[in-house]
Amino acid sequence: MVLLQVLINGLFLGGVYALISLGLTLIFGVIRVINFAHGEILMISMYASFFCFSVLGLNPYLSLIIVIPGMFLVGVLVDQVIIRPIRNAPSYMQIFATVGLSVVLINLALVFFSGDYRSINLAFAKQVVHMGDIGISLSRLIVFISAIAVAWLVWLFLDRTDMGKQIRAIAQDRDAARLMGINPNKIYMITFGIGSAMVGLAGGLIMPLYYVFPSVGAYFVLTAFVVVVLGGLGNMVGALLGGLIIGVIDSLSGYYLDPALKEMVYFLVFLGVLLFKPSGLMGMIGAEEMGLK
Amino acid sequence: MLGSYFKNIGAPGVYFPSLILLAFLAVAALVPNEFYLNLFFMIFMFAGMSGAWNIIGGYAGQISLGHAAFYGVGAYTSAVLFAKLGLPPVIGIFASMGGAVILAFIIGYPCLRLKGPFFTLATLAVAEVLQLLAVYFRGLTEGSEGLSIPYEPAWYNLIFESKNSYAVLAFGYMVLVLVITLVLERSKLGYQLTALRDEDQAAESLGVNTSRAKIAAFVLSGVLTALGAVIVSQYVLFLEPHSDFSVNVSVELALMSMVGGLGTAVGPLIGAAILIPLGEFLRAWVGGGIQGLHYVIYGCILILVVMFMPHGIKALVENKYQALIGLLPRFGAAARPQPEEEVHLHFESRETQAAKDGHPLIAAHEISKDFGGLRVLSGISFAVRPGEILGIIGPNGAGKTTLFNVLSGVYRPSSGRVEFDGQDITQIRRIHQVCHLGMGRTYQIVKPFGNMTVLDNVMVGAFCNQAGSATAREIALEVLALVGLLDKRSHEAKSLTLANMKRLEMARALATKPKLLLLDEVMAGLNPNEIDEAIKLIRDIRDYGSTVIVVEHVMRAIMSLSERIMVIAQGEKVTEGLPREVIADQRVIKAYLGDGFELA
Repeated sequence: MVLLQVLINGLFLGGVYALISLGLTLIFGVIRVINFAHGEILMISMYASFFCFSVLGLNPYLSLIIVIPGMFLVGVLVDQVIIRPIRNAPSYMQIFATVGLSVVLINLALVFFSGDYRSINLAFAKQVVHMGDIGISLSRLIVFISAIAVAWLVWLFLDRTDMGKQIRAIAQDRDAARLMGINPNKIYMITFGIGSAMVGLAGGLIMPLYYVFPSVGAYFVLTAFVVVVLGGLGNMVGALLGGLIIGVIDSLSGYYLDPALKEMVYFLVFLGVLLFKPSGLMGMIGAEEMGLK
Repeated sequence: MLGSYFKNIGAPGVYFPSLILLAFLAVAALVPNEFYLNLFFMIFMFAGMSGAWNIIGGYAGQISLGHAAFYGVGAYTSAVLFAKLGLPPVIGIFASMGGAVILAFIIGYPCLRLKGPFFTLATLAVAEVLQLLAVYFRGLTEGSEGLSIPYEPAWYNLIFESKNSYAVLAFGYMVLVLVITLVLERSKLGYQLTALRDEDQAAESLGVNTSRAKIAAFVLSGVLTALGAVIVSQYVLFLEPHSDFSVNVSVELALMSMVGGLGTAVGPLIGAAILIPLGEFLRAWVGGGIQGLHYVIYGCILILVVMFMPHGIKALVENKYQALIGLLPRFGAAARPQPEEEVHLHFESRETQAAKDGHPLIAAHEISKDFGGLRVLSGISFAVRPGEILGIIGPNGAGKTTLFNVLSGVYRPSSGRVEFDGQDITQIRRIHQVCHLGMGRTYQIVKPFGNMTVLDNVMVGAFCNQAGSATAREIALEVLALVGLLDKRSHEAKSLTLANMKRLEMARALATKPKLLLLDEVMAGLNPNEIDEAIKLIRDIRDYGSTVIVVEHVMRAIMSLSERIMVIAQGEKVTEGLPREVIADQRVIKAYLGDGFELA
C-alpha cells in the first residue's frame, strides 16, 4: 500500500515535470534552441500567479486566463528580441544568450521581490481525497490531468491544424518549408510563445503547491533538462513519458533512499542515458539534428 | 619556447605585453591599499581560471557550464585535507589536481561524445550532482553550514598575512595559465582543437583523434581550474557548497572569456580586467542594499556581447593595438630585417610502390551498404594498383560518395571487406585511424576550418605524421606551393572562393602524405581554366607518389586523368575498363541516358 501511495505521488509529481518539459521540448524541436531561461519563465509565471492572488485576490486557477496569454507574449518577446538576431549563429551563442537572460531574470526577481520564499495559502490545495489507504491530492491531480491534456491538445494542434502542419514542416526542413511559402520567423515566434504559455500554465498550476523564489526556475528546469533528454529532445510523447518516469524515480528514491539524494539518483539516470542512449527513450541518434516528432 | 622568447625580446610585440605584465606584478607586490589588492587578486585569479575554462570552451568549442565541479572539487579536496588532517595545501593541491583529472575523465568520456548544447546540459548536471553530494556528506564537508579553513599563515599553507603575497601568488597563477595557453596555441593539440571546433568530421579525416583531443583539453582545463580554486579558497578561508559548486561560478568563468574574446589567450584576461572591477564597484556603490544587481548587469553584458560583438573586446581593439605595436621601436636582434620566408619545394617523389609488384594498394571485396531498408551499394568489388589514377563515374545517386565513405571509414559496410595496403580495414571504426594508415580524402561539400588561416588548415593535416610545429609548417608551405595557394596562406579559410576551398581540401589531405588520395568531385563548380589547373595538379600529386581515386562528373577531366574508369549506377558496378572502352559501352550509356537510346 505504501508502495502504491509512493507511486501515485511520483506520477503526480511527474505531471509537474512533464508540464514544464513539454514547452522546453517543443521549443527545441522546432527552433533547435535549448532555452536555458525556460525555468525563469516558470518563475515569472509563478510570481504572476502569486501577485494575482495576493493583490487582486484572484484564485490561481482563475488567474491562468491572464498568466497563460501573458507568458505567450513573454515567449514571443524573448524570441524576437534575443533569439531572432542569432538564429543562424553557432549553438554556443544561443546558449550564452539564454544563459545570460536567465541570470538577468533571476537577479531582477531578486532585486524586485527579494529572496523571500512566498506561497499562496489556498484551502483547496490541501484537500486530499481518501480512497481506502490511498490519499489523492486534488490540486496535484489537476496538474497531472492537465499535463496529459496539454500533451494531447498540442499533439492535436500539430497534427490537425494548418498552423500545426506549418510548424512541423519548419521543424523538419527549414528551407523546403520556406519554399512552400511558410514564414519561418512567424512560426518560430508562435512556437516560442506556445512553449512559454505551456510553462506558464505549469507555473499557475503549481503555485498553490510550491513556494516561489527567484531561483525556483533553476530547480525545476534542471529536472526538465533531465526529462527531455531522457525522453528524447524534441519529442512530445517522450517528454510526457520522461516526466512521469522521473517523477516516480524521484518519489521512490525519496522514500526508500534519502530525500537529500533523490535528485542525485535521477541525475545519475540522466548521465546513464547520455552514456548509453544519448538519443533518449523515444529519440533518434543525433537528436540535435532531428526535429519535432 | 623560452629560447625564442628571449631571441625576440627586442620586438615590440614581445616586450610591450611583457612590460604590461611586469607592471601588474609591481602593483601586486607594492600597492598597500587593501581594497585594490583584493581587486587585483580577484582579477588575476579569474583571468587564470577563465583562461582554464577557455581551453575547453574557447579553443575546443565545447561550452561547459559545469566548471564549478572542478572548482568545488579542487577547493574542497585540499581544504578538507588541511582542515581535518592538517595536510598543508602545498601538498594537498596535488590531491586537488588529481581529483580534477579523475573528474575530467569521468565527465569527459561520456559527455564529450555529445554535441553542442547536449554537452552543456551534461556538465551542468554533473556540477549539480556534486553540489548535492557536498551538502550530503556532512562528515567531510560540514554540509550547508560551510567549512572554515583555519587561519594559519605560512607559505606551505598558502595563507599569508600580507595581501601583497596573495596578489603575487595570483599573478603567478595567471601567468602560468597564460603561458600554457600560448604554448597550447602553437602546439599540435592546439591546432587540432581549433580544427575540430570548426569541422569535427573533416578534422577526423585529417588524422585528428577528436575524442582524445577533447578529453586532453578537458583534463588540462579542469586541472588548472582546480589549482585556481585551491588558491582562492586559501584566501577566502571559507567553503560552502551552494557558492563553490554554484552554476554562477561556471557562468562567470565562461562570461569573462566570452567578453574578452573566446578562444584567444588574452581574452580571459581582458574579460576579467573589465568585469571584476565592474562587479566590485557595483557591489560597493549601488549594490550595498540591492542584492543581485551586479548579476543583472553581468547578464545584460553577456547578452549584449553575444548579440553585438561575438568576437569579444579583443577583436574590437586588435587593430588599434597592432597600430600601437607598429609605432614602438625594435631593439637588438629583432631590429635586423627579417629574411623573407623562402619555400623550397622538396615534396620528394616517394618511391612509387608500383615497383613493389602487382599487389593492389586498395581492394574492395563485395561491398554492400544498407541504410535501413535502402540498399545504396550492392556487391561492389574493385582494386587499385599503386601509382594508378582510377576514375569513378556514375549518375547522381549512384552511390559514389557512399562508396568513398565506406572506403575511408565514415561508414562501415553492411557486408564485404576493404583491404588497404595489405591490411583489412573493414572493422576500423574511427576515421582518423584510416588517415594514419595513409588514406586521405576530400569532401564533396567542402568543409574548411573557416576560422583558421589557409596555412593553419593545412598544418592540421601535416600534424597527422608530425608532432613538431616547425616541421608541420614546412610541410604545409610545400603543399600550399604545390596547389598554388601559397600567396593566400594567411587568409581566413572562409574568405576563399569555392575553387580555392577545393584546392584547400586537397592541400589538407595531401599534407597528411597519403599513399592513397580519394578526391570527391573536386572540380564541380570550377571554370574551364580552373579545371585544367586541377587536372595538372592531380597528375602532379600522382607523380609525387600518391595513388588517386577520383569521383568526378566533369568528363573532360575524368577522361584525360584516369588510367581506368569504373562506372557505378544504382549502387551496382556497371563496368570497368580503359576510358575509351567505357564510354562506348552500351550499358554505361543506358545507365546515364536510359533505355532506348542508341549510339549514333
